[in-house]
Amino acid sequence: MRRRRASLRSGRQRAARGSFVVAGFLVSIITGVLLYFLPAIQVALRDTGQVNTSLGGSAQLKPVSASEHLSATAPFTLLLLGSDSDSKFKGAFLTQSMILTRVDPATKHVTMLSIPRDLWVRLCTGSNGKIDQAFLHGGAQCAIQTVERDLRVHVDYYAWIGLQGLVSVINELGGVNVVANNPVMDDYYPADLSGGNPFDYQRILVLPGAQHMSGTLALEYVRARHDDAYGDFARSQRQQQILIALRAKTKHISLADIPSLATSLGSDFQTDMSIGQLSGLLPIAGSVPLASITQVVLLPPYTISQYLGGQAVLMPDWSLIRPEVAKYFTAAS
Amino acid sequence: MRRIAILIALMVASGLVANRALAVLQSHPTAAALVSSTSPQVRLPGTIYVSQEGAIYAISGSEVRRLALPSGGDWTQPRVLADGSLLVVRRFDAYSDLYHVSTAGRVLSRMTSDDPATSNQTLQLDHWVLWPAISPDGTAVFFATDAPKPAPKQSYEVDFSLWSAPLSAAFTIGGSGVNGGTRWSVPDLYTGGDIEPMPLPNGSLLYSSYANTGKGTVVTVIGLQTNPNSAMRALTTPQQDCGAPSVAPDGVTLAMVCTNSGQTANLEVATLEGNALGTPRVVVANCLCNAPSWSPTGDNLLYMNAADTNGNFGLWYIAHAGGTHPGAARRVTDSSVDLDATSAATWSSR
Repeated sequence: MRRRRASLRSGRQRAARGSFVVAGFLVSIITGVLLYFLPAIQVALRDTGQVNTSLGGSAQLKPVSASEHLSATAPFTLLLLGSDSDSKFKGAFLTQSMILTRVDPATKHVTMLSIPRDLWVRLCTGSNGKIDQAFLHGGAQCAIQTVERDLRVHVDYYAWIGLQGLVSVINELGGVNVVANNPVMDDYYPADLSGGNPFDYQRILVLPGAQHMSGTLALEYVRARHDDAYGDFARSQRQQQILIALRAKTKHISLADIPSLATSLGSDFQTDMSIGQLSGLLPIAGSVPLASITQVVLLPPYTISQYLGGQAVLMPDWSLIRPEVAKYFTAAS
Repeated sequence: MRRIAILIALMVASGLVANRALAVLQSHPTAAALVSSTSPQVRLPGTIYVSQEGAIYAISGSEVRRLALPSGGDWTQPRVLADGSLLVVRRFDAYSDLYHVSTAGRVLSRMTSDDPATSNQTLQLDHWVLWPAISPDGTAVFFATDAPKPAPKQSYEVDFSLWSAPLSAAFTIGGSGVNGGTRWSVPDLYTGGDIEPMPLPNGSLLYSSYANTGKGTVVTVIGLQTNPNSAMRALTTPQQDCGAPSVAPDGVTLAMVCTNSGQTANLEVATLEGNALGTPRVVVANCLCNAPSWSPTGDNLLYMNAADTNGNFGLWYIAHAGGTHPGAARRVTDSSVDLDATSAATWSSR
């Protein structure tokens, strides 16, 4: 009897020791994994919808709601925002690029609608202005509200990226392959990323045809506009091209790439999507065939160039724009 | 005690292994290999010059060597002259110049000085010179340059025009044009202009011409001019969106890249019939192709293509591409090599 009790006790001790050893290994492995994902966790806490932060501007508007998981089948709308985030702007940025994107995971169809930065609209603040000022006045919340109200669409999420963030993420992915439509030349391209005087110019030239673009070359391609028959419209088309090229790259990205991508983006990226939602977006983006991407740019007659108070603006023809937008996007509730 | 220490060490090691295992799973793009560190997959006769990361490499059979060109700037778009020497573009951030160099890479002459900004501090006075092409009789060089252009701060206009100049005489590129040269084309403004000149044996000039459709797009057509003062005749339609022409030494077989305004391209071959173009034949469909060029004999076609999963632009080759039964496309360079796809290879029989 005594021997049996001793045997039981020693069995329990062995089990406890075993549990301790297993727990020790688990803690060690989890620590290793957490340390690996530390840069992504930092970005998640600082720049994504893991916590609710407002970005830029001073207006405190309604928080952007983000459901926890991207549905594998339900379509969603993402507002992509890009800013000249160099030292000229001292932390308050205009959006040089606004692309309203609808992703339908079930049909694997994507629609990209570029909203011209000079579009003259009623801003979320109640005053009229160019749509690129919405972000300046009230951050992403204001940009979303302005787009929702003026285009009468519902926006589920947003993602914002700065100049250096775009350069870094493209470099981190090893560059992108693009068929440049024509020679893109600009003798007055802003020399604002070199660390010198941000108001200086530089000459740039992107040669036409299929080629491998580094982050810097891709930025020049999407940002140049002075020697272009279609100015900002052409730039919008080129921005969509780079997004399509990035989509091709997402096929090769795994969860293990998230920390290095997060590190490369640094503070030049903000979104209300969680890390889980972002990583869920990657396989969806990678599975969309090129032929299933619809590209929309609001050229005349949707917009008309005018000078208003000494500045060049694009006056919207809402009677044409809203029906066109309604073809592709879910109406605001 | 010793067993506990070993156990703790194993636990720490397991954490490290988990951490490093994730790092291994990263799809980090590997840096492209230099073409000189690899062996060509296909051994072709003569010497083929290509550009990679700002250097010029000569591929001769199974050998690859780097030309010992001066450092600074990016050397690109080599063209072989009849004596085997080369014309090469040296591109800097704000301008480019044309150089005549030996097959070893020794500079024989600097043909242009397109950086007046160094002395007058006005960046917009700089010029680009690109896409040099030698006339079939070897007496003239054709090229694209952003001259003439308006004075600085007068306009944003900067577009390529096509010019020719005697190979034997000096010429200078300035704001009003090429002193000592002949202007061939007047660009459609704010489109990029006219590029990639291809002088033909009959004295005509073939090139890529960018045009504003007036409907929100800029497209390219293959244009033909019979002399510097003639009007351009479009040989392809704006819908085809064809560029990068290369004419075989026979003067009539044309290779070109047509995108149909899309994000992939077709490599096509057609025959010039007088001042018109025969029906094009697609030799490579749905590719990321660029910069075709012919062999000295005119029966083999080289081109750049990113056909590998890693997305690297390699040099590809099709035997008898101008015939009715072209060979299969074969990659010449190793798949780890990423060449400058905007720089056509040039093939010397030497």
